[in-house]
Amino acid sequence: MTVLDEASPQGGSPVAHPQVSVLTDRCAGCQECVIRCPTGALTMDTTRWVAEADEAACVGCRQCVRTCPFSAIVVSGPVAVAERHDVPPVSMPEPVGVSEVRGGFSGWAEALAEADRCLSCPDPTCVRGCPTHNDIPGFIAALKRQDLEGAHDILSRTTVMPDICSRVCNQAAQCEGACTWSLAGAAPVAIGRLERFVADHEPVPVPRPGEPIDLSVAIVGSGPAAVGAAFDLLRAGARVTVYEKDPVPGGLIRWGIPDFTLPAEVASRPWRDLEAAGVEVRTGHEVRPEELSELARDHDAVVLANGAGVSMRPRAEGLDLAGVVDATSFLKAANEALAPGGDPRALVGELGLSGRVMPRVLVLGAGNTAMDVARSARRLSMSPLCIDWMDERFALARPDELEEARHEGVEIRFCTTLRRLEGERRVERAELAATVQRRADRPPSVLEAETETIPVDLVVMAMGYRADQAFAPVAPGTPLPRAATGLPDRRFTASGILAGPASPAAFSYPVGRLALGRERGVTLAALAVQDRTWVVGDALVGPSTVVEAMAQGRRAAAAILRARPARPGRSRPSRSQVVLVCYESRGGRTEKAAEALAAEFSDAGHRVRTLPIGRVGPLELANADVIVIGTWVEGLVVAKVGPAKAMADWLAALPRLGGKTVGIFCTFSVAPRGTLPAMRRVLQDKGADVVAQAAFGPGELGARPTSFGPAGFAAEIASRLAGEVAPGLAGRQLRTVGR
Amino acid sequence: MEAGVEERVAALDDPASVAVRLRPPERHGLEERFAASDPSPGLELTAHPRVARLLKNRKFQFLLILPNQIVFWTVIFVGLLGTAIPGLNFGAAITWYVWFCLVFVMMVVVGRAWCAMCPFGGFAEWIQRRSFFRRTQKALGLGRKFPEPLAKLGFMLPVVSFLLLTWIEEFFNIAGPGNPADTSFMVIGIVTSALVFFLVFERRTFCRYICPLSTLIGTVGSMGSVAGFRTRDREVCLSCRTKDCMRGGEEGYGCPWYTWPGSADSNLYCGLCSECYKACPEGNVGLFLQKPLTSVVAPRRRRVDVAWGIAFLWGLVLYQQFNATNAFAALDNWLNSGLHFPHYPDPVDYLGIIVVGALAFAGLAALIARAVAGPAADFARPGRFLERASRFRAFFVPMSYGLIPVVGADYFARQLPKFFQHAPRVVPAVAHIAGFSSTRSSLYRFSIMTNGWIVVVQVAIVSIGALAAAWATWRIATNELVPISEHKVAARVATVGLALACGAAAAVLYVIMHAAD
Repeated sequence: MTVLDEASPQGGSPVAHPQVSVLTDRCAGCQECVIRCPTGALTMDTTRWVAEADEAACVGCRQCVRTCPFSAIVVSGPVAVAERHDVPPVSMPEPVGVSEVRGGFSGWAEALAEADRCLSCPDPTCVRGCPTHNDIPGFIAALKRQDLEGAHDILSRTTVMPDICSRVCNQAAQCEGACTWSLAGAAPVAIGRLERFVADHEPVPVPRPGEPIDLSVAIVGSGPAAVGAAFDLLRAGARVTVYEKDPVPGGLIRWGIPDFTLPAEVASRPWRDLEAAGVEVRTGHEVRPEELSELARDHDAVVLANGAGVSMRPRAEGLDLAGVVDATSFLKAANEALAPGGDPRALVGELGLSGRVMPRVLVLGAGNTAMDVARSARRLSMSPLCIDWMDERFALARPDELEEARHEGVEIRFCTTLRRLEGERRVERAELAATVQRRADRPPSVLEAETETIPVDLVVMAMGYRADQAFAPVAPGTPLPRAATGLPDRRFTASGILAGPASPAAFSYPVGRLALGRERGVTLAALAVQDRTWVVGDALVGPSTVVEAMAQGRRAAAAILRARPARPGRSRPSRSQVVLVCYESRGGRTEKAAEALAAEFSDAGHRVRTLPIGRVGPLELANADVIVIGTWVEGLVVAKVGPAKAMADWLAALPRLGGKTVGIFCTFSVAPRGTLPAMRRVLQDKGADVVAQAAFGPGELGARPTSFGPAGFAAEIASRLAGEVAPGLAGRQLRTVGR
Repeated sequence: MEAGVEERVAALDDPASVAVRLRPPERHGLEERFAASDPSPGLELTAHPRVARLLKNRKFQFLLILPNQIVFWTVIFVGLLGTAIPGLNFGAAITWYVWFCLVFVMMVVVGRAWCAMCPFGGFAEWIQRRSFFRRTQKALGLGRKFPEPLAKLGFMLPVVSFLLLTWIEEFFNIAGPGNPADTSFMVIGIVTSALVFFLVFERRTFCRYICPLSTLIGTVGSMGSVAGFRTRDREVCLSCRTKDCMRGGEEGYGCPWYTWPGSADSNLYCGLCSECYKACPEGNVGLFLQKPLTSVVAPRRRRVDVAWGIAFLWGLVLYQQFNATNAFAALDNWLNSGLHFPHYPDPVDYLGIIVVGALAFAGLAALIARAVAGPAADFARPGRFLERASRFRAFFVPMSYGLIPVVGADYFARQLPKFFQHAPRVVPAVAHIAGFSSTRSSLYRFSIMTNGWIVVVQVAIVSIGALAAAWATWRIATNELVPISEHKVAARVATVGLALACGAAAAVLYVIMHAAD
């Protein structure tokens, strides 16, 4: 093992081993470091009940430093890891055609050498960094055994597109950015390339349809989110019908990613397999918002995965001039022109650039889409210049993609923005201004005095995409905000992914925070926005990565399979429900009522979870079939009487609960007044189906509860669940139990 | 089919969990290690619903701190702006006649109860958390870790700060009490230091590593009958993967004192703040009572910093007794004239007596070790201050723990003259804030007890402390020293004899002092 000294604070000559110091004053013997140390260098001194380190076994990954709750471990010195084996991109003086630029490992020797760098961390942060939580140490261990089938088996539990994700994922901000080596300041394991090695050397397993079940699902769109949903629904035996507006399925991965990054053969593989397995794909069929209700009549569930295909436009003068196009149309046209049999010259002519030598293309943006545009332009013998108003330190493009684009002759200027475009009918000049950005979470400031005018022949707007606003009324609340708020998932905190400095591979963005934001989107994908309608992928969270969209699709499929919605006139299969009883209690009466309700549901054969609202997050909501919400009544007898403030705030912050069965109750001393109607209004606005409500006074919760107590309320909800009242109607025929 | 779907759905609840392969935690010797120090389940206070509800409430600690906070600000303002007559000034009177004495009673009974309601740390913590009682997610300040070279000294820094503060207090005659404004300045100084530390460092770094009272409350408090917040089922703690009690959870902060209920074997570092109780998502933490002296006798992990802390506290309380004698006055005057130091207390005799007191105890422990230790005690482990092991430490450290009841009783007895002679002055001092009452008030001149009776009470308290120390030392010697001693009876007799001799020395000094304050 080669010992590097790049992480050594002192630098200089290599040192044999890192130095580990356990601060015994603060070490509480909790063993968080012991159970997570990848090499077993940490053990317990059972006499003193503190951790002790074997420096000879330590490789300096600093996992212990990141996971110790009391900062009782200090590791200094170098990391002990072999050099990462990177495959340089295919180098050509002048990029031509659409042959794939990025290569994989040439053979087993390279792959095994890289696989050996993996520490097989007991609590792998790379897995949390991966939006779909691939078992990365698991598949790498299979690879070390040269068991490609085993590696596919492990990967197929969480991903259906290892061949695509390994090529297009921004690993630096996901799995590789979260690799324990990366968090320790060293080069991460080349997880993407290892995944690609598996997919390149052993075909991705084809989906096998499950035993048919009585469930028909319509999927609108055919991007990665749709692929994820379709795979899981098909494997569970559901009938899946896909509606795609383009002539070929695939969405963004077909038209948005050039063939030199993702060959068409690879990009078309998922739908080829899915169609062969029985998924019905209706291409050339655009679904407008008003048609969704029709789909909902014909299918038990609808998955809206129509992406975010509307190009963002900058705020600048002159965008209406000829010679200004958006990235979508440019990429679609360039892909066709560069494909075998295509005519690049015709495209150059269509763009009004005939006769110009190396036409100058100004690409607005320097993200991944902009890189695709610029590199396509290079292949069309153009001279592209990408500008982005952000600082390069905070850019979100793949670092290797930036490097490759520069290598191919693309000029990229960060801290530069467009002021205006000028020209007679057609764009001829662009006035640019410098910007300055000091922090990732603050927008850049424009330096008005520092301007420059450059000649341009074509302008491509590649600042990203947004969802079609026409769908806003049928997908309320989307796109969801990406930033994770509140207390981070405790499992993420415990793994150490949130501790320590940001991975240098992911620029200035702490990979843990990015992962939490993605996790939120994936979790919320399980909650329907309307009754029997789920939104996933870019349509749910705005532009996202391929793997993230696929993970959301799979999560929505799991939620559909669990909820088993039924279109009007059909019945839902009866089964035990997961009931979540959540409450806001002050003096203990509401908690007592919640526990009594939980006992009733449990006695009726349902699985019950009882939690205070502070501990109820999207995951808990998504995992519940029925939610019962209770609060104490706040107010001054007659004035300002309503749900407790904490409950009101919690209800207001709830995500969409489309069609979720909900019961509400309150506990009061004098009178509940408008408490229940206020709760009901908010929940119905969120799309919930409020089927029962109850107000428990001192009598109902006393030593001898009346028939209007928790038992009666639970029975009321249970009767609704048993199908006595059709879902969707119950909320309008509320019966209040109790007073 | 349905079952298969359910399984797949369940796997998606936390898909990452399929890749988590944690090593099993060490369980070897757990039962044996914690058997003596684990409180009985029957002594769990939080088993009572009302107590549980009270401690779950986030306002619990705020309501403990609030009254003290009001008194504390009153002390500052009245000390600065009120009368210069110490006995009539509420700030000086409440602080030195009543507060210090009450804190001792509290620590002997409850442990770190004062820490839970301390207005200094409480005030700084409100600012650090940006809230009086809410669970906020973002702290104000830099949140730095306390530097390792200092942190590894453990209890030694609080001992140094206590010695320094006591010397300042003696030099300026603050606790006499002298000028009431000096009391205010001292309180302002403490709260300012606390605030700076809370804003620079994370959690309660100040309370754990700097606070002058930390060693005293921690060690004397270990005599108390409150075990603190402990695990209900250690296996649940060991298999917990998130450790919300340490890192902070939805409803509670991570332990501000760097204590894990799963391994706590004494109440030494439990600040009774109840954050772990609130944070634990499994409801596996409870507040327990214990038999008095359990945290002195039972812990298996003895700390050398605690031992030296006790030794220096013993030296300090001896100094505080000795300084009331005529012999000391002569010595101090002689040193001051020779060293051209303005007045009492001369730093040389101050430090000299404390160090001699501490080293005398350590020296006697070394002598006992040399005399009775067997081959089993002759092991040495190199390492840093907290980690080294030697024959001397094998005897000195447990013996120091046994001395705690004498030290605690001695400090308490030392406060009694002020309390019995002047505590009633607090009533006219309160009235004086409103503009009436004076030194002519009968309560101003009223003493609860005569000097003769005060000496009797002091000797009685020290005697009780000595007997408790003898019992604790006997238990400690039986469990820890006898197995490594060649002369087992001598080990018991010598160590218990030393504890009793310390108690006797303190009692004799009280007789000589004749209730001087």
